[in-house]
Amino acid sequence: MALPAPRKKLSTPESVYLVEVIKGMFLTMSHVIKNILDQDRFRTIEYPDMRKPMAARYRGAHRLTTRPDGKVKCVACMCCPTICPAKCITIIAGEAADDPAEKFPIEFDIDMLRCIFCGFCVEACPKDAIRMDTKIYEINAYTRQDMVHNKSYMINLMDGLKPEAEDVYRAHPEQAPAGYTFDEKPVA
Amino acid sequence: MAKVKINDTEIEVPNGTNMIEAAKLAGEEIPHYCYHPHLSIAGNCRMCLVETTTPRGPVLEIACNMQARDGLAIRTDTAQVLHMRKSVMEFLLVNHPLDCPICDQSGECRLQDYYMEHGQYDSRGLDPKVGKNKRQDIGDLIVLDAERCVQCSRCERFGDEVTGTGELRLMNRGDHTEIGMFPGDRLSHNYQGNLADICPVGALTNKDFRFQRRVWYLKETASVCTGCATGCNIQVCHQEGEVFRYLPRRNDQVNKSWMCDMGRLSYQEIAGLKRILKASVDGKAVEPDVATGEIATRIRAAGAAGVGFVLGTRATNEANWALLQMVRANVPGARIFVVEGNDGGQAAQGDTLLLSGDRNPNTAGARLLARHDGNVGDRLALLAALPELKLLVVLEDDVLGRLGAALPPVVFFGAFKNATAQAAAIVVPTAHPVEQDGSYINRQDRVQRVRRAVNPVGESAPAYVVVDRLGARLGKAPGTQMVAAAFNGMARAVERMRGLEFKGLGAEGRLLAPEAVTAVPGAEAST
Repeated sequence: MALPAPRKKLSTPESVYLVEVIKGMFLTMSHVIKNILDQDRFRTIEYPDMRKPMAARYRGAHRLTTRPDGKVKCVACMCCPTICPAKCITIIAGEAADDPAEKFPIEFDIDMLRCIFCGFCVEACPKDAIRMDTKIYEINAYTRQDMVHNKSYMINLMDGLKPEAEDVYRAHPEQAPAGYTFDEKPVA
Repeated sequence: MAKVKINDTEIEVPNGTNMIEAAKLAGEEIPHYCYHPHLSIAGNCRMCLVETTTPRGPVLEIACNMQARDGLAIRTDTAQVLHMRKSVMEFLLVNHPLDCPICDQSGECRLQDYYMEHGQYDSRGLDPKVGKNKRQDIGDLIVLDAERCVQCSRCERFGDEVTGTGELRLMNRGDHTEIGMFPGDRLSHNYQGNLADICPVGALTNKDFRFQRRVWYLKETASVCTGCATGCNIQVCHQEGEVFRYLPRRNDQVNKSWMCDMGRLSYQEIAGLKRILKASVDGKAVEPDVATGEIATRIRAAGAAGVGFVLGTRATNEANWALLQMVRANVPGARIFVVEGNDGGQAAQGDTLLLSGDRNPNTAGARLLARHDGNVGDRLALLAALPELKLLVVLEDDVLGRLGAALPPVVFFGAFKNATAQAAAIVVPTAHPVEQDGSYINRQDRVQRVRRAVNPVGESAPAYVVVDRLGARLGKAPGTQMVAAAFNGMARAVERMRGLEFKGLGAEGRLLAPEAVTAVPGAEAST
């Protein structure tokens, strides 16, 4: 059986409702005036146009890194699908004929609907081939199939997003990832 | 017998037992690379050093070259031994490329295992590693990576002592020593796959299994190869219903540690195009139940005198037993035959090592049941009876190819589309040996078990189940759906099988009781 909550005994000015309303309005107006005078104090950001700076260790969407010659670093050693607790990584290995690396992934799929973003795949990778440093958290699609990120998508992930993200970074350089370099294009 | 002491355990082993084997019996694992139970002693990897006591104090000796004698005492756990193992590991790994991510051996590599157990040192290497040739195509089934080799010489000894071909040789000196072959030479024998098995590291790997699966994903089921009458013991390596490779399983009485490449690659036919997936009647696909009903109808129509049954030399004992029981109970008077020979009718070549010229896994089993029944005809009897037969029910074998004569309408129970299956009026698919439990009898009269590793493909079911269903349609099922019950019933009835139990066949199989003296010796000489 629920017990009635003890009620606080109100003082006389509190019991007169109007006084408290006016006190609240004063508080609101003081914030309005402070914000107008000092705009850096804004708590709200205009989301699609502005981004919160993510922590350096933030685990976003996976990307596959490449060697200087453009080939994917991954050698399909199967360490990441082995460690993956969500069993969301599927790799089909193949033999690279002219490559000293011998082995490469013909297919490398990550089912983002199953991924739990634990980052074990990055930890397990002996070749630094998979990273979650993209800081991308908007992972969405219209179909389940599109939520499976494949090899070429994950290789080109940063390329596709660079121009869009760069505008934000130019406007707010403090939000750019550490070590981010801008293209030589002058700011209009 | 000799009483030896391994650490604090005292055990009795036969005189001259290798101390690595003796230690294994005592529950102590001595790490080793070059020692192999079925090859000569080389003693060059130095990993198996153990401590013995001599008049001049404790001394390190290699266990693989030490034979058990009374009073011998070794220790495998002293500080000196552990330090030595660590040092040997460091030495072996000085020039190792550490390409485990792309190496097929990872997961079953002695270098990895022993590094984690006995190595765990920090590298002191300052000079660049000595590079050698990688990815050398040296045979139809083998890829050689000279950098990964630890010069244990197992493959060299295998070529010298087992196949007698001697292609692989250690060349050069010092840290430039590498395994290789003479220019223009190439592995061409039928036992190449064993080289990949005995290589304790990733220097020799199997081309067929190359990059297919990581070994730690694979599950293993102990089974028997059904490629020929030898019945080599194998491990079936499979994942999620797909078989990826066969590995030989040690059985000193049958195949030691080896198997031939033909048998090794026969896993490919499990999911191959030659499998029968659907039941059919007169070329039309039907449900297996409908086909079974149709078979029963046609057997009744043909009558006992007009129908013949053929036991399978490729079928399990249980399937043959089921057919025998089913016929005797439901179609008394029908004739039963066994047609020996190879599918397609061609004579096949065997060799002196393992491969038998008889490519059927269960010729001895079919022969045994035929003799037990006492009224089973052979190939000539079938040829003579052909004009009177209106229907021939065949279990697994390619009777058409073996006889080379036109057959009456055929009912075929089998797994593969051979000539008989293609000519058959009714076909019911049966399971492959890795898809069912059962037993085979090899050419030494050894009863060995196959175990179900994966599910039967398509609509197939084990042959003893299919025959049991047919029996139910005809009136009396032989009750062989439970394989252990079928085997035990057979073992009680067949004289030479007395005392055998399905559960008691074990990993190495059991020999049949010797044939009674009055019987005509017809069995192939065992090797």
